[in-house]
Amino acid sequence: MTRAAFSYDFPHRHLVSVADLNPVDISLIFERAEHWRAINRTPDKSSDALKGLTVLNLFFEASTRTQGSFEMAAKRLGADVVNFAIAHSSASKGESLSDTARTLAAMQPDIMVVRHSATGAPRFLAERTGLSVINAGDGMHQHPTQGLLDVFTMTRHWGSVGGRRILIIGDILHSRVARSNIGLLSMLGADIRVCAPPTLLPTDIDQWGVDVFHELEDAVTDCDAIMALRQQKERMSGGFIPSGREFFHLFGLSHETIKSAKPDVLIMHPGPMNRGVEIHTKLADDPDRSVIMEQVENGVAVRMAVLELIGANIRKEAAA
Amino acid sequence: MSSSFAITNARLVDPASDYDGPGGVLVENGLIAQIGEELDLNSADDIVDAGGKILAPALIDLRASKEPALTPDGENQASLAAGAAAGGFGTVVLAPNDHSPLQTAGGFAGMTRSLGQHGIRVLSAAAATQDLAGENMAEIGLMAKAGAAYVSNGDHTIADSRVLRRVLSYSSQFDLWLALRAAEPGLSRGAVATESDWSARFGLPSEPTMAERIAIDRAASIAALSGGKLMVDRVSTADGLAAIRDARKRDIEIAATCAIAHLTLNEVDAGGLDSAFRIDPPLRLEDDRRALVAAIADGEIDAIVSDHRPTPFDDKGEPFALAIPGTLALETLLASLLALVHDEELSLVEALRPLTIGPADLLGLPQGRLSTGAPADLVLIDGDKPWVCNPDDFQSPRGNSAWSGRRFIGRVAQTFVDGQSIHNYNG
Repeated sequence: MTRAAFSYDFPHRHLVSVADLNPVDISLIFERAEHWRAINRTPDKSSDALKGLTVLNLFFEASTRTQGSFEMAAKRLGADVVNFAIAHSSASKGESLSDTARTLAAMQPDIMVVRHSATGAPRFLAERTGLSVINAGDGMHQHPTQGLLDVFTMTRHWGSVGGRRILIIGDILHSRVARSNIGLLSMLGADIRVCAPPTLLPTDIDQWGVDVFHELEDAVTDCDAIMALRQQKERMSGGFIPSGREFFHLFGLSHETIKSAKPDVLIMHPGPMNRGVEIHTKLADDPDRSVIMEQVENGVAVRMAVLELIGANIRKEAAA
Repeated sequence: MSSSFAITNARLVDPASDYDGPGGVLVENGLIAQIGEELDLNSADDIVDAGGKILAPALIDLRASKEPALTPDGENQASLAAGAAAGGFGTVVLAPNDHSPLQTAGGFAGMTRSLGQHGIRVLSAAAATQDLAGENMAEIGLMAKAGAAYVSNGDHTIADSRVLRRVLSYSSQFDLWLALRAAEPGLSRGAVATESDWSARFGLPSEPTMAERIAIDRAASIAALSGGKLMVDRVSTADGLAAIRDARKRDIEIAATCAIAHLTLNEVDAGGLDSAFRIDPPLRLEDDRRALVAAIADGEIDAIVSDHRPTPFDDKGEPFALAIPGTLALETLLASLLALVHDEELSLVEALRPLTIGPADLLGLPQGRLSTGAPADLVLIDGDKPWVCNPDDFQSPRGNSAWSGRRFIGRVAQTFVDGQSIHNYNG
């Protein structure tokens, strides 16, 4: 459905949680992402959609891929991009996040892309500064652009994720990627499964509208996509599993263990991968199954779409 | 105020005698000289008509914190005392915390004396272990001699059972309670929320309520082993209450306090991740809150505490999970508790018992009751006065209140200690 036919404009100036979105918002993002994905494959990638706007990448947790993806997305849209890696500046001098935020806001950026180890930090910054905020991952809460790019990748293969059976496997407990994916996929009517040892599942997983498995073999049966998650070693205190070796033996993905899935099953991973812990190297690199590199490519396009839609709303507000 | 005065035409509420009815008091030389409907007013220099307001014993708080001395722009002794008086308190006990561990026997008597110069009675608890680290005992005996109200390890439990056994055993010779935060360390470490659907969805580090039960079970068993008086510091869950009941069945000497936050708020209040609701122990589920209110009504909880905690940043300038826990409470405790009375969850006597005779009996204090010869520590409450909680109007220079913006009905009109008026509200 095109925008003209539906007469609905993307209403958001923040993207903090996938819970803020409805299915129409998602299709608007995907429509623009498809456009930018095509442009990104040409030698003439630059646009002036965000020309004049400043995007502040505010990363309180180390990140290479997400920060790089956002930076590339914003630059291709013609924005001025400034990167702040706060772990090494003010936060270590004892300044409160509130003060840091106000200081940065005083420099008059337009969009803040925020990653922080604490749940709620992006919304906190949005409230304190009044700037547009895009959540690039907050604690174990949400990573909405990752969820969007994953669902976008699946949608490109199938046309729609509705009715498709998708398995998320691994460290659900500590994963903001899982929370964002489950939110989006259930909104879009997918059949969601999770598989993990009980120590890596949230206590209320039975309330999430997903089917829970502890046996990999049962879990993969007839799946259309299988998404492995990374062990979040930095968020784990104490042992949740005895060893990486044991985990791979019980829950690791390989050509062998996914036999009962659909023959054209998509193998996904948000990266960075721990080869030999969540996924066998050969499967990760299998061009017929693995869409992991597509996810990375689509990440830039989806982030461009989100930045563009939010940027348009900032301009609209300024004009009003 | 003259050396003798009478307050007449009041609604007397005295939980010690279970009395809630009309009457007045005659105060002479700082003591209650007469109580009842028929006072001998000839000897009174001054007579105040209460106009039907509630007259009760001034409130007693067993757990408040101050900021370190000389904190710039922070809460000082005078503002703490003024806030307490405005909240209807006549007696406040300071508990140790990381900033003020209250472990130096040397300065102890001097500190409580200087705190006592601000009208209200200020007592201090003594640290149980050095630096509250749970390893080596602090100088409990010297602090007991200097007037420590009880022994406490602050916000930390004592994880090592052998140390806990010794602290309980050692403090028993001074007949002091050990107030112990009940949290099983392995399950509670790093938690900022209660394990629930809500905290799981937000991915917040959380503790199961069973962590409190395990901690109380353990501490009660150690108390059975060592002797000593165990006070559960801020019970907050239905599981914790069950453990206290079990311990009482075993004839273990156990008391319990509960913070006003856990009686009047639940995790849903923190749903917007507002740092004002970052509290320790974390806010619990509504079922827990109801269980606590029922336990207050049944007299299972000995004292309601403010757990008043001014934080060094007025705006709690960090996101929820990183914010400094705690809320101001002295100035709003009574009003937020009265909401439970208005909602008929508690009677007025039930609500005031754990703020008057309950804590007074725990510590062996003479105040906290309306009886002839008791100190004239009194509070006059306008039970129908509506007001809105605005931290800018607080006596405290801090603003971190979990009740900010709440509408209350019922406000302290006047507070007396030793028959001296220490707060008079003319709003």
